[in-house]
Amino acid sequence: MRKNRLVAVTAAASMTLAMGACASGADAADDGGPSTGEVRVWLVGTDTPDEARDYLKTTFEEQNEGSTLVIEEQSWDGLVDKYTTALAGSDAPDVVEVGNTQASAFTSNGYFSEITADEFEELGGSDLLPGFVEAGDWEGAHYALPYYAGSRAVFYSPQLVDGEPPATLDEYVDAAKDMYKKGKFSGMWWPGQDWYNALPFIWENGGYIAEPADDGSWEAGFSTPGGIAGLTQIQDLMLNASNAPADGQETDLQVPFCEGKIGYLSAPTWIQWSINAPEEPESDDGVPGCGSTYGGDLEAFALPGKDGGAAQVFAGGSNIAIAKKSEQRDLAYSALKIMLSDEYQSIIAGIGLIPAKVSLSGDVPQENSIGAAGVEAAAGAKLTPATPKWADVEAQNVLQTQFTRLANGDDVEQVAADIDSQIESILNG
Amino acid sequence: MSSLATEPAAPPASVSSPPRPRRRRRLPTVPWLLLSASILILGVLTGYPVVRMLVMSFQEYERAQVMGMPAEWVGFDNYTAILTDSAFWAVLGRSILFMLVAVVLTMVLGTLIALLMMRLGKGLRLLVSVGLLLAWSMPPLSSTTIWGWIFDTQYGLVNNLLTRFTGERWFGHSWLLDPLGFFTILTFIIVWGAIPFVAFTMYAGLSQIPGEVLEAAQLDGAGAFARFRLVMLPYVRTIVTVLVVLSMIWDLKVFPQVYALQDIGGDRQKTNTIGVYIYQMGMGQGHFGTASAIAFVFVAIMLLLSIYYVRRTMKEEEL
Amino acid sequence: MSTTRVAVRRSPARRAKDAGWGLVAVLVFCLFVFPVYWMLNTSFLPNNRIRGEEISFFPTPDVFTLDNYRSAMFSQERAPFGPAVLNSLSATFLTLLVCLVVGFVASIALTRFSFKGRRTFLVLILVIQMIPGEAMIISLFRIIDGWALINTIFGLSLVYVAGVLPFTIWTLRGFVAGVPKELEQAAMIDGCSPAGAFWRVTFPLLAPGLVATGIFAFINAWNEFIMALVIMQRPETMTLTLWLRTFLMVTQATNWGAVMAAAVLVAIPAVIFFLIVQGRMSGGLVAGAVKG
Repeated sequence: MRKNRLVAVTAAASMTLAMGACASGADAADDGGPSTGEVRVWLVGTDTPDEARDYLKTTFEEQNEGSTLVIEEQSWDGLVDKYTTALAGSDAPDVVEVGNTQASAFTSNGYFSEITADEFEELGGSDLLPGFVEAGDWEGAHYALPYYAGSRAVFYSPQLVDGEPPATLDEYVDAAKDMYKKGKFSGMWWPGQDWYNALPFIWENGGYIAEPADDGSWEAGFSTPGGIAGLTQIQDLMLNASNAPADGQETDLQVPFCEGKIGYLSAPTWIQWSINAPEEPESDDGVPGCGSTYGGDLEAFALPGKDGGAAQVFAGGSNIAIAKKSEQRDLAYSALKIMLSDEYQSIIAGIGLIPAKVSLSGDVPQENSIGAAGVEAAAGAKLTPATPKWADVEAQNVLQTQFTRLANGDDVEQVAADIDSQIESILNG
Repeated sequence: MSSLATEPAAPPASVSSPPRPRRRRRLPTVPWLLLSASILILGVLTGYPVVRMLVMSFQEYERAQVMGMPAEWVGFDNYTAILTDSAFWAVLGRSILFMLVAVVLTMVLGTLIALLMMRLGKGLRLLVSVGLLLAWSMPPLSSTTIWGWIFDTQYGLVNNLLTRFTGERWFGHSWLLDPLGFFTILTFIIVWGAIPFVAFTMYAGLSQIPGEVLEAAQLDGAGAFARFRLVMLPYVRTIVTVLVVLSMIWDLKVFPQVYALQDIGGDRQKTNTIGVYIYQMGMGQGHFGTASAIAFVFVAIMLLLSIYYVRRTMKEEEL
Repeated sequence: MSTTRVAVRRSPARRAKDAGWGLVAVLVFCLFVFPVYWMLNTSFLPNNRIRGEEISFFPTPDVFTLDNYRSAMFSQERAPFGPAVLNSLSATFLTLLVCLVVGFVASIALTRFSFKGRRTFLVLILVIQMIPGEAMIISLFRIIDGWALINTIFGLSLVYVAGVLPFTIWTLRGFVAGVPKELEQAAMIDGCSPAGAFWRVTFPLLAPGLVATGIFAFINAWNEFIMALVIMQRPETMTLTLWLRTFLMVTQATNWGAVMAAAVLVAIPAVIFFLIVQGRMSGGLVAGAVKG
């Protein structure tokens, strides 16, 4: 008997839920004309600060009276899978953030609404980060625009690391290995799956990820002499400078850093906020930092290049686009405009991300070495191969997997050959 | 082969006999009416997708087609591409090998536990049942998470204990990275979760064997193994067949555990089983045509493997 | 008291043997319960204990904490917990209900009637179960989307029903066939109508069968997450498995406490369901399997 009642209750509950969803869908359709409606913005991960989210919502609702804006947070993992169906469906969101390296999987397949030349000018035009504009273009048209770029710097605490920052990449490697010899200490922190930090070593040594060959096919370059040199250096660091788990990911880096067991930590610049957070988190789900110890005097420098200067680093970041299936493109465009406005982008810059507009890069706080290092590193930033199939390489975790093999001590040339064959089979497949 | 009528587990008499025609019901409309809801649901939500899959398997169907671009016909290209792709055969071989290991382990251990339960008193039997029930009710996502945590690289229990007892430093050792390690842990997860169903069912079947039969065998001086093989097994043969067939289908198609375990760690290329391979080909990379073709090749292979069972079923259902 | 007296009467050899089996039983119990225990243990420990080099085998009062549960359930950064529970419960029980009713009716047709096409239907039902569902995601999505059932419990349940129904029919058919027709015929001689005979005589005998079959519908719907990922796109329409999945992605390596707490929360309803039905299922399992 009790079970029957339970079934009845849940059935009723599901009916109301179903009806509720239908009702809201109908609302959107009815009011979805030029004037009012609900705009759904999908932001990925937690990079966008709360201040920016609030600003977006308030400003949008002021500018478009009667309309509302909802931010729905997505997670990076499995993002391509989810967008593949969600953006093709009848309940598609209006504005979506997408990783810059993933953008072309969607721009090339008609998932995004085209940004006209006029709109492009209005949103910033040539002031928008060129590499990211390119990542969001397809066949000469704009589809996804820059949202922000991450930039990386090498962090350290003077309490644990003495002396001047290294001037060249080789010095950096040697310094990290020296610190490791002290025992129970990582000269640098290199979780095996971290491929972002690996790319500079490939590039600086003259290798490349993949380049178009004469016949138009892609040729991967990890097995080139430069690639091998880079991978050898990476493996050397993983085995002889780092205690990070061989299959670890680049997550929650502040934890080992705050234990005082890391010398150099190459990480996105926003990690500084996690590191110098208070030991007792303010909110329930806050992650403890170490503001009073190693986080208190945090310093940073841009990863040095092979011949001095800043190394070419991987430019991670996001693009932002309007979904093709958005039923209220005007409103979506209005939201996009706010997200690329100087005010909004300044907030983004304020937490240390590189804003979508070149002219605003001065807004990245540079009073300390961290901001300066971030901006310096961003100047030499490089992208992954410009092909829609690159997203598949990422979706299959090719580099993550192969770098874990390096961290486990596998033969460098074998790993290089495997990376190349996998990348080529995907890019040319 | 159809010795079903002698099955002891079911109520006596006329177990297998399909209904002898009772001419009273002349109109065949009644059964079809009763089946209509099923046919409607399966027709629309399984039949139609299968037809779509068949069509897609002859097309170049990518993300652009999901967005509504017309698809291009490519004939048997998808099929030839798969059948000549060594990666596909590697995945298939891996899936079948894993299935065999998992099914054998599940059946043997499940049966042993069922036999154990027959020997136990009420209290201890309840204890074992509770343990089995807990394992059985664990959602795969939860259980995969638990096992992933036990074998965690940095803080996992296994590495911690190994470090303590061997004196060597095991922290940082990744169990999932080595495909053999990955599949060992996967086998733990699957077998641990699958044994309860087998054990409960076997126990229920074994406990319906008349006591006199077993006692007679014992008096004849049959050893434990002989008793099991010669006396018990014939009684539960159908149950075993069904359990094996079900386990084979389930373990070959295993998806959530592999998918979740790959999220925790491991080399996707070397640990893909057929389910995740299809998922990655389709949802992950957007090659829906190829994914559909793989599904059909897979069904064909499953049919080959189970043709005996299917034919036997058809024979039993002879009208 | 009485147990000791019984034990005394037994021969020493027999006692040793019993004790041996008892030991094996306890060992088996421990093996099966250990992962669950470890999950519970971790979920009640603070993070510094979880990550410490010392293993904490029990959340003693000085370290016991509910923080992991608080963080799992009420964190602002994650999808809301409450709606996810409600969504999962609704989808699961809707699936369960529809599956049992539709499957039951179908199994009557397949066992109590003889008609042309019956065998074909059965073979189809069997073959359907071999198709890997992962290949159908995109087509199913487009159907559900076409009916504007995206983000609805109803749409998700429909997909689940289609997924479990073949197995339900296959198994229930075994149970219905296992109830001898002679009983019904006897009832009809006593003056029952055919339907009445079925309802009064056969149906009550089928209860264990319905329970056993229901378990599978429950397991399938409760644990599924790929179709849910595709169909339930809004944060407020997430199911519990999707909710758990977000933990696996974000917090690896550092927040195992919260992950384990989330895993516990997802498992609790399933365990409760199993406990409720367990008494009625074992007999059912056999009868269903016999006529497989």
